[in-house]
Amino acid sequence: MQITFKLFASLSDYLPPDRKGNVLSLQVAEGTTVQQMIRDYRIPEMSAHLVLVNGVYIPPSARADRALTDGDELAIWPPIAGG
Amino acid sequence: MNDEQLLRYSRHILLPEIGVEGQEALLASRVLVVGAGGLGSPACMYLAAAGVGTIVLCDDDDVDLTNLQRQILHSEATVGRPKVESGRESLLRLNPLVNVETVHARLEGDALDAQVRIADVVLDCCDNFATRHAINRACAHHRKPLVSGAAIRFDGQVSVFDLRRADSPCYHCLFPEGKDVEEVRCAVMGVFAPLTGIIGATQAAEALKLIVGCGVSLDGRLLLLDGLGMEWRSISLGRDPDCAVCGAD
Repeated sequence: MQITFKLFASLSDYLPPDRKGNVLSLQVAEGTTVQQMIRDYRIPEMSAHLVLVNGVYIPPSARADRALTDGDELAIWPPIAGG
Repeated sequence: MNDEQLLRYSRHILLPEIGVEGQEALLASRVLVVGAGGLGSPACMYLAAAGVGTIVLCDDDDVDLTNLQRQILHSEATVGRPKVESGRESLLRLNPLVNVETVHARLEGDALDAQVRIADVVLDCCDNFATRHAINRACAHHRKPLVSGAAIRFDGQVSVFDLRRADSPCYHCLFPEGKDVEEVRCAVMGVFAPLTGIIGATQAAEALKLIVGCGVSLDGRLLLLDGLGMEWRSISLGRDPDCAVCGAD
Protein backbone atom coordinates (compact mmCIF):
# COMPACT_ATOMS: atom_id res chain seq x y z
CA MET A 1 0.00 0.00 0.00
CA GLN A 2 1.01 3.61 -0.58
CA ILE A 3 1.48 6.18 2.21
CA THR A 4 2.83 9.71 2.45
CA PHE A 5 5.49 10.28 5.07
CA LYS A 6 6.37 13.81 6.21
CA LEU A 7 9.09 14.70 8.68
CA PHE A 8 9.29 18.27 9.94
CA ALA A 9 12.00 20.66 11.15
CA SER A 10 15.16 18.80 12.23
CA LEU A 11 13.56 15.39 11.59
CA SER A 12 13.73 15.81 7.82
CA ASP A 13 17.38 14.72 8.18
CA TYR A 14 16.04 11.19 8.78
CA LEU A 15 14.57 10.99 5.29
CA PRO A 16 16.76 9.51 2.53
CA PRO A 17 18.91 12.10 0.73
CA ASP A 18 17.16 11.58 -2.63
CA ARG A 19 13.74 12.71 -1.38
CA LYS A 20 11.99 15.83 -2.62
CA GLY A 21 11.58 18.38 0.20
CA ASN A 22 10.40 16.86 3.47
CA VAL A 23 7.90 14.47 1.90
CA LEU A 24 8.28 10.84 0.89
CA SER A 25 5.78 8.71 -1.00
CA LEU A 26 6.28 5.15 0.17
CA GLN A 27 5.18 1.59 -0.46
CA VAL A 28 4.84 -0.16 2.90
CA ALA A 29 3.57 -3.58 3.92
CA GLU A 30 -0.08 -3.98 4.89
CA GLY A 31 -0.48 -3.58 8.64
CA THR A 32 2.60 -1.38 9.14
CA THR A 33 2.10 0.58 12.36
CA VAL A 34 3.05 4.13 13.27
CA GLN A 35 5.56 2.78 15.78
CA GLN A 36 7.21 0.60 13.11
CA MET A 37 7.69 3.61 10.86
CA ILE A 38 9.30 5.57 13.71
CA ARG A 39 11.61 2.62 14.42
CA ASP A 40 12.42 1.82 10.78
CA TYR A 41 13.48 5.40 10.10
CA ARG A 42 15.53 5.47 13.34
CA ILE A 43 13.74 8.53 14.64
CA PRO A 44 14.69 9.05 18.29
CA GLU A 45 11.65 8.27 20.44
CA MET A 46 11.83 11.62 22.24
CA SER A 47 12.02 13.55 18.97
CA ALA A 48 8.79 11.98 17.71
CA HIS A 49 6.85 14.49 19.75
CA LEU A 50 3.77 15.23 17.67
CA VAL A 51 2.70 12.27 15.53
CA LEU A 52 -0.26 12.84 13.23
CA VAL A 53 -2.08 10.51 10.85
CA ASN A 54 -4.12 12.51 8.35
CA GLY A 55 -3.82 15.47 10.70
CA VAL A 56 -5.11 13.62 13.77
CA TYR A 57 -2.77 13.40 16.76
CA ILE A 58 -1.74 9.88 17.79
CA PRO A 59 -0.65 9.77 21.46
CA PRO A 60 2.45 7.67 22.35
CA SER A 61 0.31 4.96 23.94
CA ALA A 62 -1.58 4.35 20.67
CA ARG A 63 1.35 4.31 18.24
CA ALA A 64 2.19 0.61 18.50
CA ASP A 65 -1.38 -0.42 17.65
CA ARG A 66 -2.20 2.21 15.05
CA ALA A 67 -1.92 0.44 11.67
CA LEU A 68 -1.61 2.62 8.61
CA THR A 69 -3.96 2.15 5.67
CA ASP A 70 -3.58 2.89 1.97
CA GLY A 71 -3.44 6.63 1.28
CA ASP A 72 -2.63 7.64 4.86
CA GLU A 73 -0.40 10.63 5.55
CA LEU A 74 1.94 10.15 8.50
CA ALA A 75 3.52 13.39 9.80
CA ILE A 76 6.00 13.68 12.66
CA TRP A 77 7.12 16.88 14.40
CA PRO A 78 9.94 17.25 16.92
CA PRO A 79 9.75 19.85 19.70
CA ILE A 80 10.97 23.15 18.23
CA ALA A 81 12.23 26.23 20.06
CA GLY A 82 13.68 28.49 17.36
CA GLY A 83 12.72 32.11 17.31
CA MET B 1 -7.99 59.42 22.65
CA ASN B 2 -7.17 62.70 20.95
CA ASP B 3 -7.93 63.51 17.30
CA GLU B 4 -4.58 62.24 16.08
CA GLN B 5 -5.09 58.91 17.84
CA LEU B 6 -8.66 58.60 16.56
CA LEU B 7 -7.35 59.09 13.03
CA ARG B 8 -4.30 56.84 13.42
CA TYR B 9 -6.32 53.96 14.83
CA SER B 10 -9.48 54.60 12.79
CA ARG B 11 -9.23 51.34 10.80
CA HIS B 12 -9.28 49.37 14.02
CA ILE B 13 -12.00 51.53 15.54
CA LEU B 14 -14.14 50.84 12.48
CA LEU B 15 -14.14 47.14 13.32
CA PRO B 16 -17.14 46.45 15.55
CA GLU B 17 -15.13 43.76 17.37
CA ILE B 18 -12.61 46.42 18.43
CA GLY B 19 -14.23 49.88 18.33
CA VAL B 20 -13.21 52.76 20.62
CA GLU B 21 -13.43 50.57 23.68
CA GLY B 22 -11.10 47.93 22.28
CA GLN B 23 -8.64 50.53 21.08
CA GLU B 24 -8.66 52.13 24.54
CA ALA B 25 -7.86 48.70 25.98
CA LEU B 26 -4.89 48.39 23.62
CA LEU B 27 -3.62 51.87 24.55
CA ALA B 28 -3.80 50.95 28.24
CA SER B 29 -2.13 47.57 27.84
CA ARG B 30 1.36 46.34 28.67
CA VAL B 31 2.82 43.49 26.62
CA LEU B 32 6.03 41.64 27.42
CA VAL B 33 7.93 40.37 24.35
CA VAL B 34 10.78 37.98 25.13
CA GLY B 35 13.14 37.85 22.16
CA ALA B 36 13.73 40.56 19.55
CA GLY B 37 14.66 38.20 16.73
CA GLY B 38 12.77 36.53 13.89
CA LEU B 39 9.46 36.17 15.75
CA GLY B 40 9.80 39.19 18.04
CA SER B 41 10.42 41.52 15.09
CA PRO B 42 7.09 41.20 13.28
CA ALA B 43 5.22 40.58 16.53
CA CYS B 44 6.22 43.84 18.20
CA MET B 45 6.01 45.85 14.98
CA TYR B 46 2.32 44.97 14.75
CA LEU B 47 1.82 45.58 18.46
CA ALA B 48 3.41 49.03 18.14
CA ALA B 49 1.53 49.95 14.97
CA ALA B 50 -1.73 48.85 16.59
CA GLY B 51 -1.10 51.14 19.56
CA VAL B 52 -0.28 48.81 22.45
CA GLY B 53 0.47 51.26 25.27
CA THR B 54 3.68 49.76 26.58
CA ILE B 55 5.85 47.15 24.90
CA VAL B 56 8.61 45.63 27.01
CA LEU B 57 11.27 44.26 24.68
CA CYS B 58 13.81 41.81 26.14
CA ASP B 59 16.89 40.33 24.48
CA ASP B 60 20.53 39.99 25.55
CA ASP B 61 21.86 39.76 22.00
CA ASP B 62 23.39 42.28 19.60
CA VAL B 63 22.39 42.69 15.95
CA ASP B 64 24.45 40.56 13.59
CA LEU B 65 24.57 40.64 9.78
CA THR B 66 23.11 37.10 9.63
CA ASN B 67 20.00 38.34 11.50
CA LEU B 68 18.97 40.78 8.78
CA GLN B 69 17.64 38.12 6.38
CA ARG B 70 14.52 37.82 8.60
CA GLN B 71 14.72 40.06 11.69
CA ILE B 72 12.98 43.04 10.11
CA LEU B 73 13.16 45.13 13.27
CA HIS B 74 16.87 45.65 12.63
CA SER B 75 18.91 47.12 9.81
CA GLU B 76 22.44 47.34 8.51
CA ALA B 77 22.84 50.62 10.40
CA THR B 78 22.33 48.87 13.76
CA VAL B 79 24.65 45.87 13.27
CA GLY B 80 26.71 45.46 16.44
CA ARG B 81 24.23 47.32 18.66
CA PRO B 82 21.90 45.71 21.22
CA LYS B 83 18.79 44.30 19.54
CA VAL B 84 16.55 45.95 22.11
CA GLU B 85 17.94 49.42 21.29
CA SER B 86 17.74 48.80 17.57
CA GLY B 87 14.21 47.48 18.08
CA ARG B 88 13.11 50.37 20.22
CA GLU B 89 14.21 52.88 17.56
CA SER B 90 12.34 50.98 14.83
CA LEU B 91 9.16 50.75 16.90
CA LEU B 92 9.22 54.46 17.76
CA ARG B 93 9.67 55.28 14.07
CA LEU B 94 6.55 53.21 13.36
CA ASN B 95 4.57 54.77 16.17
CA PRO B 96 6.04 57.46 18.45
CA LEU B 97 2.94 57.29 20.65
CA VAL B 98 3.86 53.91 22.17
CA ASN B 99 6.11 53.47 25.16
CA VAL B 100 8.92 50.96 24.57
CA GLU B 101 10.82 49.69 27.60
CA THR B 102 13.93 47.57 27.04
CA VAL B 103 15.72 44.86 28.98
CA HIS B 104 19.16 44.15 27.55
CA ALA B 105 19.66 40.85 29.37
CA ARG B 106 18.46 37.27 29.29
CA LEU B 107 15.24 37.64 31.27
CA GLU B 108 15.26 35.13 34.13
CA GLY B 109 14.72 34.72 37.86
CA ASP B 110 13.27 37.65 39.81
CA ALA B 111 13.49 40.01 36.83
CA LEU B 112 11.38 37.66 34.70
CA ASP B 113 8.92 37.19 37.54
CA ALA B 114 8.57 40.96 38.06
CA GLN B 115 7.99 41.62 34.35
CA VAL B 116 5.42 38.86 33.95
CA ARG B 117 3.55 40.01 37.06
CA ILE B 118 2.86 43.47 35.61
CA ALA B 119 2.24 42.38 32.00
CA ASP B 120 -1.22 41.90 30.50
CA VAL B 121 -0.01 39.42 27.87
CA VAL B 122 3.35 37.67 27.40
CA LEU B 123 4.79 36.77 23.99
CA ASP B 124 7.39 34.02 23.91
CA CYS B 125 9.55 34.77 20.88
CA CYS B 126 12.77 33.30 22.28
CA ASP B 127 15.05 30.63 20.83
CA ASN B 128 15.62 28.08 23.60
CA PHE B 129 13.69 25.62 25.75
CA ALA B 130 15.14 26.77 29.10
CA THR B 131 13.75 30.28 28.66
CA ARG B 132 10.46 28.93 27.28
CA HIS B 133 9.94 26.84 30.41
CA ALA B 134 10.93 29.71 32.72
CA ILE B 135 8.44 32.04 31.00
CA ASN B 136 5.73 29.39 31.23
CA ARG B 137 6.33 28.88 34.96
CA ALA B 138 6.10 32.63 35.60
CA CYS B 139 2.92 32.92 33.49
CA ALA B 140 1.34 29.96 35.31
CA HIS B 141 2.29 31.46 38.68
CA HIS B 142 0.85 34.89 37.88
CA ARG B 143 -2.00 33.53 35.73
CA LYS B 144 -1.06 35.52 32.63
CA PRO B 145 -1.92 34.60 29.04
CA LEU B 146 1.10 33.31 27.12
CA VAL B 147 1.33 33.48 23.34
CA SER B 148 3.99 31.03 22.24
CA GLY B 149 5.60 30.75 18.80
CA ALA B 150 8.51 28.77 17.40
CA ALA B 151 10.04 28.38 13.94
CA ILE B 152 12.88 26.46 12.32
CA ARG B 153 13.72 25.62 8.68
CA PHE B 154 10.30 25.80 6.90
CA ASP B 155 8.18 24.77 9.89
CA GLY B 156 6.44 26.71 12.63
CA GLN B 157 4.20 26.26 15.64
CA VAL B 158 2.01 28.75 17.47
CA SER B 159 -0.39 28.50 20.39
CA VAL B 160 -1.94 30.39 23.29
CA PHE B 161 -1.82 29.17 26.86
CA ASP B 162 -4.45 31.29 28.57
CA LEU B 163 -3.33 30.67 32.12
CA ARG B 164 -5.96 33.04 33.51
CA ARG B 165 -8.20 30.00 33.09
CA ALA B 166 -7.75 27.11 35.51
CA ASP B 167 -8.63 24.49 32.86
CA SER B 168 -6.15 25.66 30.22
CA PRO B 169 -3.11 23.59 29.35
CA CYS B 170 0.29 25.23 29.86
CA TYR B 171 3.45 24.98 27.73
CA HIS B 172 4.77 22.25 30.02
CA CYS B 173 1.63 20.11 29.42
CA LEU B 174 2.57 20.15 25.72
CA PHE B 175 6.36 19.97 26.04
CA PRO B 176 7.27 18.31 29.35
CA GLU B 177 10.62 19.69 30.53
CA GLY B 178 13.58 17.38 30.19
CA LYS B 179 12.11 15.85 27.05
CA ASP B 180 13.49 18.71 25.00
CA VAL B 181 15.84 16.47 23.13
CA GLU B 182 17.56 18.86 20.86
CA GLU B 183 18.18 22.55 20.88
CA VAL B 184 18.20 23.21 17.17
CA ARG B 185 19.12 26.77 16.39
CA CYS B 186 18.53 28.81 13.26
CA ALA B 187 22.31 29.30 13.06
CA VAL B 188 22.72 25.57 12.44
CA MET B 189 19.47 24.54 10.79
CA GLY B 190 18.54 27.65 8.83
CA VAL B 191 15.12 29.28 8.78
CA PHE B 192 12.93 30.54 5.94
CA ALA B 193 12.61 34.31 6.33
CA PRO B 194 8.85 34.83 5.92
CA LEU B 195 8.09 31.82 8.12
CA THR B 196 9.15 33.85 11.15
CA GLY B 197 6.98 36.68 9.85
CA ILE B 198 3.90 34.46 9.56
CA ILE B 199 4.33 32.97 13.02
CA GLY B 200 5.33 36.27 14.68
CA ALA B 201 2.39 38.12 13.09
CA THR B 202 0.05 35.36 14.28
CA GLN B 203 1.41 35.88 17.80
CA ALA B 204 0.66 39.61 17.52
CA ALA B 205 -2.87 38.86 16.30
CA GLU B 206 -3.53 36.56 19.26
CA ALA B 207 -2.11 39.10 21.72
CA LEU B 208 -4.30 41.92 20.36
CA LYS B 209 -7.40 39.67 20.47
CA LEU B 210 -6.68 38.70 24.07
CA ILE B 211 -6.34 42.35 25.10
CA VAL B 212 -9.45 43.50 23.25
CA GLY B 213 -11.37 40.38 24.24
CA CYS B 214 -12.63 39.57 20.76
CA GLY B 215 -12.87 36.36 18.78
CA VAL B 216 -11.67 32.94 19.85
CA SER B 217 -8.05 32.54 20.89
CA LEU B 218 -5.71 29.64 20.15
CA ASP B 219 -6.07 28.55 23.77
CA GLY B 220 -6.26 24.74 23.78
CA ARG B 221 -5.09 24.46 20.18
CA LEU B 222 -1.67 24.20 18.58
CA LEU B 223 -1.27 25.35 14.99
CA LEU B 224 1.41 23.62 12.96
CA LEU B 225 2.59 25.35 9.79
CA ASP B 226 4.22 23.29 7.05
CA GLY B 227 5.88 26.12 5.13
CA LEU B 228 6.99 23.94 2.21
CA GLY B 229 3.51 22.59 1.54
CA MET B 230 1.96 25.83 2.92
CA GLU B 231 -0.51 23.88 4.99
CA TRP B 232 -1.78 24.58 8.49
CA ARG B 233 -2.80 21.82 10.87
CA SER B 234 -4.66 22.45 14.10
CA ILE B 235 -4.47 19.97 16.95
CA SER B 236 -6.37 20.09 20.22
CA LEU B 237 -4.40 20.35 23.43
CA GLY B 238 -5.61 19.09 26.76
CA ARG B 239 -4.41 20.03 30.22
CA ASP B 240 -2.19 17.38 31.85
CA PRO B 241 -3.68 16.87 35.32
CA ASP B 242 -0.27 15.66 36.54
CA CYS B 243 1.63 18.59 35.02
CA ALA B 244 4.52 19.64 37.27
CA VAL B 245 3.84 23.31 36.51
CA CYS B 246 0.10 23.99 36.22
CA GLY B 247 -1.03 20.82 37.98
CA ALA B 248 0.74 21.88 41.17
CA ASP B 249 -0.70 25.38 41.29
